[in-house]
Amino acid sequence: MKPGRVVASFDSATGMLRALSRFLHGRDVPLIGQGPAAAEPLAAALFGAANRLPRGLKERAYAASGWAEAVPLRQVGGIRSGALARWVTGHYPRRRSDVAFVGSANGALIHLCAALGAPWLPQTLLIPVRRHGAHPDEPREDLRRTREAGQALVTANPDLVLHQMHDANQDRLMIAGMSYFRVKWRRLPAAYRHHLEQTLAPGATLVVVDCELRWPVTQVGPRHLFQHGAPGGATREEYQDGGPRVADYLRRYGSPHRRWDYPAADGESPEAEWGFEPGLLPDLRELAARNGWRLARMSFAEPEHLSPVVADLYREWYRRRGLPADRLLAECFLLLEPWWTLRSGSVPYWMVFNTEPSRASLTGYLDGADPFEEIRLLLFSHGVESVGLATIDQWRETLARAGKVGVFTGVDTRAYPRDFAGLARAHRELARIRATVPMPLPMGWETAEKFLADRDELRWDTEEPTAADDRPGR
Amino acid sequence: MSLQRQDHVVGDLTVAGHRRRGPGPPVVCVHGAGVSSRELLPLVEVLGERHDTWAIDLPGFGASGKPDRPLTLPALADVVAAWVEEAGLERPCLLGVSFGCQVVVDVAVRHPEAAAALVLAGPTVDPRGRSPWRLAGQWLRNAPGESPRMMPLNVADYRDAGLRMVLAAFGESIRDRVEDKLPLVTVPALVIRGARDRMVPQAWAEEVTRLLPYGRLAVMDGLPHMTPYRHPRRVAGTVAAFLSEVAV
Repeated sequence: MKPGRVVASFDSATGMLRALSRFLHGRDVPLIGQGPAAAEPLAAALFGAANRLPRGLKERAYAASGWAEAVPLRQVGGIRSGALARWVTGHYPRRRSDVAFVGSANGALIHLCAALGAPWLPQTLLIPVRRHGAHPDEPREDLRRTREAGQALVTANPDLVLHQMHDANQDRLMIAGMSYFRVKWRRLPAAYRHHLEQTLAPGATLVVVDCELRWPVTQVGPRHLFQHGAPGGATREEYQDGGPRVADYLRRYGSPHRRWDYPAADGESPEAEWGFEPGLLPDLRELAARNGWRLARMSFAEPEHLSPVVADLYREWYRRRGLPADRLLAECFLLLEPWWTLRSGSVPYWMVFNTEPSRASLTGYLDGADPFEEIRLLLFSHGVESVGLATIDQWRETLARAGKVGVFTGVDTRAYPRDFAGLARAHRELARIRATVPMPLPMGWETAEKFLADRDELRWDTEEPTAADDRPGR
Repeated sequence: MSLQRQDHVVGDLTVAGHRRRGPGPPVVCVHGAGVSSRELLPLVEVLGERHDTWAIDLPGFGASGKPDRPLTLPALADVVAAWVEEAGLERPCLLGVSFGCQVVVDVAVRHPEAAAALVLAGPTVDPRGRSPWRLAGQWLRNAPGESPRMMPLNVADYRDAGLRMVLAAFGESIRDRVEDKLPLVTVPALVIRGARDRMVPQAWAEEVTRLLPYGRLAVMDGLPHMTPYRHPRRVAGTVAAFLSEVAV
C-alpha cells in the first residue's frame, strides 16, 4: 500500500503536515489540503447540502468516511515505517533553513514554523485500521480484535512504538469500523535524517518539540500500548470511572453501557496523539552532534500551552512591522491556515479541539491579552455531541469578546457538530477577507528563540555543539 | 399600544411616519430603495415596546408626498435630518435598512448633530458588486430566502412610488460611495447582516464594520437581506441591547 493511503488524512499530524508543507511551497490550504482549489465551490455546495441530511445518515457518512480510508487488518503487517518517513519528507521543498523542528504535532507549532519558514517532522502518525464487530463502548473488545495486527506492525517495524487509542467519546463515529493505531518513531528514520541534513547547515538549530502530556495506558506487548480515552471534553477520571456526564452521553447514544469497560491501565506513557516519546532523543542528539547543530528542546506540559506563546509572538511581530495586530484567528484541531493567517494579519490561536477546556484556554488568553477588534473562529466538526463539547452559544459568547467583528468562519451553526461543509468553507470564507497585508519575509530565528526561551509556558533547554563537531567542512 | 400615523411637513413635502411610542430613546427606521415603511412596521411594533420607534417614508415613496423629480441621496438625507428636527426628536438612533443605510450614513456624516447612533441592517452597496446587473443578480439570489408575505408589500410600494422613483433610488444606491463616508461616522454604529443575505456579502459587512470608527457587527443566523421583516423580534432585541450598551 502507498504510504499516503496508509496514513489517515483527517488527522492532526497529517493535517498539520499538509498545512505547513503547502505554506512552505507558498500555497494556502483549500479543502484542508485534500483537493484542488478549483473544486472548492462545488465541494462547499455538496457538503452544504449534505449538512441538511437527517442525523442518522450523516453519522453513517462520518463512519463510512473513516472506514473507507482505513487499512485492512491483514495488510497492517506489511506497513513499513521507512516508507512512511519518506512520504512525510516528500511533502517539503528542499530548502536551507536556520532551524528545523522534530517531534509532537501542534497547531501553534505550525504557525511558528510558518513564521520561520522551517519544516517540522512529526514523530507520530495515525494509521486507521479496519475492524468489525466491536461496539464503540467496548474498548476491551477493540483491543482483542486488533491485538494480533498490532503485534505484526511492531514486529515488522522495530523503530516504532504503537499507541493504540480508543476514544469512545470524541471518535465515537469513526471507531465504529476502525481502530486508531498511532505510531511513534523511537529511532530517527533515514528519510528524516537525510531531510534534516539537507535542510540544516552547521551551526543551525534542531528543535525537539516535546509535549509532555502523558496518559494512563495498558502495556499490551513490547512497544505496543493501549490508551483508553484521550484529552478533550471528558476528564481522565470520567474515562476511568464513568460519571453522570458519561452515563448521560451513553444513554443519548443508545448504548447498552453506562461506563466503559477497558483493559486496566498498568502505567503511563506519552499521550498517543500529542505526547513526545523521549526514546527518539539519543538519535537526535547524535545527529545534531555529528552535523554541528545546536539541539534545543522545547518542552511544554500540554498542547495548548504553546498557543498563547505563538499568538503573542505573532502579535509582537505584526507590531514591529507597523501593523494593527488586532485580529485573532482561533483555529481548531486540523483546521489550520498559516498562509491566510499571515495575509490577513491575524494572530493565530490554536485549540486542540471543539471542547469546553479548549474554549476555556481561548477565553483565558483573551482575558490576559489586549483586546482584539476582530475574532474569527474555525470550528472542527467531529459529528458527535460528545461529553464536554462546547456549544454554539458558548462559542458565540467567546466571539462577543471582539471589539468590532466576532464571527464564525465557515461554520454551519445549525449543523455543528455535524457540519461537513466546514472542511470546505473554513478556507473559502477566510480567503474572502478584504483587508489583507503583504506576506512578510521569514522571522529571524534569533529573535524567535529569544522570545520562546523567555516564556514561562515553555522549558527551553539547549545543547551547543561540541568543539570537535564544530569543525568546518565536517 | 398600537401604531400611530404621524405626518410632518418638511420643506414643501409631507413625510409620512408610523410610530410606536415606547419608553426608551427614539429610533427612526429608514427603508430601502423603491420600497417604504410598510416592511418595517413589524419591527416598529416590537422595538416600540421599548423605544420610541418610528418608521418614515422617504419623499416619493409610500405615503409621503411626491417631489417633482426624484431626490438625490444627499437630498433624501437632508430631508431625514430636517424631519428629525421637525418631529422634535433629540438625536435619535437612525436605523437604515438596505439603501436606507446609505441614507442614514449620509445623514450622520453631513448632519453630525442629527443622530446619536446608527444601525445599519443589510448595508448596501458592496463596491465589488456595484453594477445594475450584479445588483439584479444578487436580488434574485436573495429573493427565495425572504418571507413570501413581503412580496405583496413590495408590489404595493413599487406601485405607490412609480417606476421612475424606484429606478432613481436604485441609481442613487449604485452611485453612492458609502465606503468613503463610513470612516467619518463619529457615533456608535451596529451593522446587522442576515447570514443568508445574498446582497450583502459577509466580507463586505465586515469591511463596513471595520471602516466605521465605532462599528460592531451582528450576524443573524439563517436570515436573508431583510432581517427586520423576517425576524423583527430578533432584530429588535439586538438593537435594544446595542442601544442600552451605548447608552443613547
